[in-house]
Amino acid sequence: MAEETNQGVWGLVIDLNLCTGCNACVTACAMENNIPWVGEEDAGYGRSMSWINMQRYWEGEYPEVSPSYQPVMCQQCGRAPCEPVCPVFATVHSESEQINLQVYNRCIGTRYCANNCPYMARKFNWFDYAYNIPEPMNYYLNPSVTVRRRGVMEKCTFCVQRIHDGQENARAQGRAVIDGEIMTACQQACPADAIIFGDMTDPESQVSQALRSQRKYVLLEELGTQPKVTYLKGEGYYGG
Amino acid sequence: MAAEVKPIPNAIPSPHAAEEEDLREHLMFDPRPREEMNRMVMDSMTHTTPRYWIVVGILAVLTAVLLYGVWGYMIFTGIGISGERRPNYWGIFIVSLVFWIGISHAGTFVSAILRVFKAEFRRPFTRAAELMTTFGLAAGALWPLIHLGRVWVFYWMIPYPNARWLWPNFRSPLVWDFMAITTYLLSSTIYLYLPLLPDLAMARDRTKGWRHVVYKFLALGWRGTEAEWFRLRKAINIFAIAIIPVMFSVHTIVSWDFAVAQTGGWNSTIFGPYFIIGAILSGVSAVVTILIILRATLKNMDYFIRLEHIDALGKLLLVFSMAWAYFFFNDYMVSWYGGSEVVRTILTFHASGPSAWIWYVMLLCNVAIPWLTLWSKKLRRTPWLMLIVTLGINVGMYFERYTIIPITLGHQRMPFDWGEYTPRLPEISLALGSLCLFMLLYMLASRFIPMVPVWEVREGQEAHQLRKVGKTVVPSVSELE
Amino acid sequence: MSDSISRRRFLQLTGLGAAAAVMTGCGPASRYVVRRPYTDMPEYARLGESTYYATTCTECPAGCGMIMRTFEGRAIKAEGNPAHPVNSGKLCSRGLTAVQGLYNPDRIKGPARRAKRGEESLAPLSWDEALGEVKTALSAGVKTAFLLGLAPDHLYDLVSELAETAGTAKPVRYGALGMFEARATLVEAARQLFGEARFPFFDVAGADLVISFGANFLETWLSPVAYTRGYSQFRRSFGADKARGYFISFEARRSLTSGVADEWHPVVPGSEGLLALALANLLAERGWNLPVSSVDPAAAAEAAGISLEALTAVADRAAKAARPLFIPGGQALAHSAGLEAARSILALNLPKGTLGQSGGMSLSPAAADAASMKDVQALVDRMNAGQVETLFVHGVNPLFELPAGLNFAGALGKVKRVISFATYPDETALQADLLLPDHSALESWGYQRTLAGTAASAIAARQPVVVPLYDTRSSVDVLLSAGLLPYADEVEFIQSRLLPVLSAGGGNFDAAEIETFWARFLQYGGWWSAQGAQPAAQAAAEAAQPVQPQSLGEGKFRLVVYPTQLGDGSGANRPWLQETPNTSTTVMWNSWVEINPKTAEELGLHNDDVVLIKSDAGEVEASVYLFPAIRPDTLAIPFGQGHTALGRYAEGRGCNPAEVLAPVLNAAGDLALGDTLVSITPTGRRRPLSRYESKVGVYGEH
Repeated sequence: MAEETNQGVWGLVIDLNLCTGCNACVTACAMENNIPWVGEEDAGYGRSMSWINMQRYWEGEYPEVSPSYQPVMCQQCGRAPCEPVCPVFATVHSESEQINLQVYNRCIGTRYCANNCPYMARKFNWFDYAYNIPEPMNYYLNPSVTVRRRGVMEKCTFCVQRIHDGQENARAQGRAVIDGEIMTACQQACPADAIIFGDMTDPESQVSQALRSQRKYVLLEELGTQPKVTYLKGEGYYGG
Repeated sequence: MAAEVKPIPNAIPSPHAAEEEDLREHLMFDPRPREEMNRMVMDSMTHTTPRYWIVVGILAVLTAVLLYGVWGYMIFTGIGISGERRPNYWGIFIVSLVFWIGISHAGTFVSAILRVFKAEFRRPFTRAAELMTTFGLAAGALWPLIHLGRVWVFYWMIPYPNARWLWPNFRSPLVWDFMAITTYLLSSTIYLYLPLLPDLAMARDRTKGWRHVVYKFLALGWRGTEAEWFRLRKAINIFAIAIIPVMFSVHTIVSWDFAVAQTGGWNSTIFGPYFIIGAILSGVSAVVTILIILRATLKNMDYFIRLEHIDALGKLLLVFSMAWAYFFFNDYMVSWYGGSEVVRTILTFHASGPSAWIWYVMLLCNVAIPWLTLWSKKLRRTPWLMLIVTLGINVGMYFERYTIIPITLGHQRMPFDWGEYTPRLPEISLALGSLCLFMLLYMLASRFIPMVPVWEVREGQEAHQLRKVGKTVVPSVSELE
Repeated sequence: MSDSISRRRFLQLTGLGAAAAVMTGCGPASRYVVRRPYTDMPEYARLGESTYYATTCTECPAGCGMIMRTFEGRAIKAEGNPAHPVNSGKLCSRGLTAVQGLYNPDRIKGPARRAKRGEESLAPLSWDEALGEVKTALSAGVKTAFLLGLAPDHLYDLVSELAETAGTAKPVRYGALGMFEARATLVEAARQLFGEARFPFFDVAGADLVISFGANFLETWLSPVAYTRGYSQFRRSFGADKARGYFISFEARRSLTSGVADEWHPVVPGSEGLLALALANLLAERGWNLPVSSVDPAAAAEAAGISLEALTAVADRAAKAARPLFIPGGQALAHSAGLEAARSILALNLPKGTLGQSGGMSLSPAAADAASMKDVQALVDRMNAGQVETLFVHGVNPLFELPAGLNFAGALGKVKRVISFATYPDETALQADLLLPDHSALESWGYQRTLAGTAASAIAARQPVVVPLYDTRSSVDVLLSAGLLPYADEVEFIQSRLLPVLSAGGGNFDAAEIETFWARFLQYGGWWSAQGAQPAAQAAAEAAQPVQPQSLGEGKFRLVVYPTQLGDGSGANRPWLQETPNTSTTVMWNSWVEINPKTAEELGLHNDDVVLIKSDAGEVEASVYLFPAIRPDTLAIPFGQGHTALGRYAEGRGCNPAEVLAPVLNAAGDLALGDTLVSITPTGRRRPLSRYESKVGVYGEH
């Protein structure tokens, strides 16, 4: 269909100059995307379902010690290592959004994709976490997002439901999507506005402007995964 | 054909009686009448003691509880009852898969390769090895299923026309794996079955009741005519040659599960041969283990399986232990020299992390112990010692896979997300359960399938003779085919 | 695609009918919310369409505007209100998990009477009986007391009015966040300097240098979302127009806020006032118009545990800055010398003449009416003296939040009737005789004056976004039912309070009469004026008296207790707040003790060792976290865990550091919690902490 020709290439830029590490993105993502909590024991055992890993490293020795933060979610690789290894096409590249989709209904839980993801962005439903949310706590589950059952892999989707919502709205009103109209949950919540999301094909979009920054870098560039998440290096406390 | 040839009597008294007596150690120079051998094999199948049934009963219960009970529980609760976690998404399940697939290599190797290269010492234990292949695969093929998060839809990996309008992803090594293992299971079963035909017919003719009915059905009306022997020989030869590449491909493909991934420490081009050598090493060790146990427990087996066989396999083990060490070193050296940060970290962790003992046990069992013991003929001919050495090699090989899979996965490119994996009780139970299943199948088969291919032994004995050259007696083998 | 209509096309066409996000002003309808089955849905609740309501977040008193996405009568997702002056469409973790409070399975589901305090069994109670009890209690006049939380404001206003009418004592308004931030001290210092008891607002966005004295303004301090927004602007550079702001932090531990500082100086807690005076002297040398005190910078730096060079460098940088800001935070003020420290630090903002301007300090327009710990202590004294017959508790959990040394529990035992309005079965509700549960915040009307997140005057509107889930009743309505005040219901009361604003005008909308004003007020999520209040002419700033930090005895450590995303502890029953990793330590679901690795080595302590932290007032147990960025003579414990009630997600996790705080007050009446000295003893047990980080990956430790 004609209207599907230019849907944009979605990209996310995270400005580490502004990121304070407050974790609002983590919580926002969990609340938007029906991410279940797993409880103290499992969370400590590396089974937290959060789609964003707020990585915190330390640099230096006391008293010159300083933390550096880096929120890492699915990098929506252009050449994603997770895609070819899935035997059942549960992780695929979407033509229209140019992102990696995880098709929960296809997933049979080989967990190969998670091994092959160099960013550790994939989370596995070890138990029926989401189905065990007690009533009425499950009332808030987002009807636009699938609730995942045990045995399937999941990961950041760039809030694909919001992308579609925005596109449908724009189309219904007979216009193009306005830059900034479609926001991911993490971007929307980020109090420091460190997360920018938008169409990378539009040279005027905020995300394209941010991508012209000299501070930009992508994670593990040497692997050639062509991520759609770009980081802007912090200026002060990152030693740059 | 083999049945038609009469053994050359070599009962003429000789001044070299002592030399000859030495040669009688060899099965091939210690022939017994055909019917007696048949009887011996039949006896071994029908002879059961209460001890046998107790062991079978215990194994059956253990398999039911440890394997199927725990698996069922896991299906209903989730993979989370295992110790897997981010980043160790693969653990004991895949370790056990690789282990059992590796074990299954021995049958084909011992039987097919030794057959093709006419290694005469193979004759009495090809059957035992082939059975190991089939049951090893049976135990191994469970693991990809156990491992799945949603095993109830495992068939989505099979290419068949379906309502989802979706083929499996042929780019995924797991699909290759699935097909390779299926192919291997099928072809190794056929390869087990073909040489079994004359023996089944032999059993058919010597049994009554239900056994007779079953053997009659399985023997496919084998009568032992010249034409039948001719076709069987052809078929076996074709299969022996055809199954060798299948065997190589299976473990290569299993190794590709790791080697094609970008995961640090896995992405190694030498993994294919390295895995095959490892598989053969562990498989041949398992054959030795089983032969020693069979020899000690199964009636009449001490006639067929002799120290010379364990000795010969011991030499093979030494060679493969060296080959394994070579590949290990090659892989290690190149990875280390490559200088990639992530690989360097992983190698450091193997040797100095909290689970470094696993790495050292692996080297001890796979290299140090075989190299120290297998040189000596005397030690090679000490069954209890060989039992320990070969069991040790399999422990070492299990640890090799353990090092390659969860430990390597635990230290990838994001140090923030590193993780230590500890197997939990359910998965240990599953691993033991699959061992019980293997042993159970083997024990049941030992009372149902002639454990020694009588016709092959006979054929060998026909072909071997002592010949006098001057004053010395020399053993000689004639080509019967 | 010509003759048949594909599913996609059909959806597109339906989409045309339904416009974009509908933001409704008129809440789930009326002021009297009625529970109705889905078959009889009001017209605004369209099937398959989300409805968005503007309301106000009352997870903390900052008053951020919130847009709640609702779907078929259920609250789905909290988002920030982009038009709101405090948060501009942003939210913190606490606000985002508000729905987990609304739909918490452990909520109190209806009015109840407790046969015996402390026991969970409840006898059912009808609202009619409950209202009768309230009426009786209110008629007792002076023997009735109110203890209220920091939010919501309209309830406080109502109770204040009620107290006047009924002749009861003025309500006491207190909360743990106010305690940690030493709000009364801050306001009192502002009053002494500017003559007005208001909260200062620091325009971080416009500053080029921010020097924070223990202010966790990116975490929980006053209005964290507003300050993080400001920080974001502060950090940006726009070519030649604006350089990236420089941030210096004086704090004993490298908190989330200090974590992003360009310079972090680990100072002795309690030495901040001294440092400010030393800085004043150094700046006066550099030409600033500041009163000079007797403080010797070298001695001050030594007392604070930093080098003189570092302090001089800070002074040099400040002297060069065009719009420097000096922010006094709770860790600097919650000391016995806190008021002096607050004055000394605030005074540093004066000489540059940026007051009320971009990048400067201004005073919040609304009067600050939070009580101090002194008022709470007065209440406790009255309770102990048997002068309180009925105690109403709303929005605060004194048995958890107040220092155990205050012995609120003992005082509570002397009160004849404790009536709790708690929505959740917290520790105080467990000791209450009557439970008259209020609606949860998302089911309630109300307003919140924003005190500290903006210089402008703003009143944030709170409206129900869903019909009440349970048989709860608005506390305002419950109190009004006694008939002492002339309002028919909660909405009428709120509207009466909005009348002055309506007549003042100059806000984000205009309305001729209250009905229109009310509709817009709800639709916009509040009323705010563009104009900020300016501080009055400044009083003569004389130098405060220098006070040395408390000396440390043998085997004693200073203790920093700081609030996390769990806020005043009420967030502990939100599972996702529990599982959101703490940023500094990545610990989830529990409490820990931060200790410098060097100190730990000396004491023979390892990660996850359970230690006993003991002060004169009490003791707590927690697992050790070797924290590389904390002073070696200081320990830190996060606040918010250690609940003995509050439902399945909160109970039995971690420890409550309020138990080691002694009820020592400073000159402004705030708790001098920073002066708490503790000892640390290993218990010989280990209890591994749930960390998000990999210990081996980050610290190289297995």
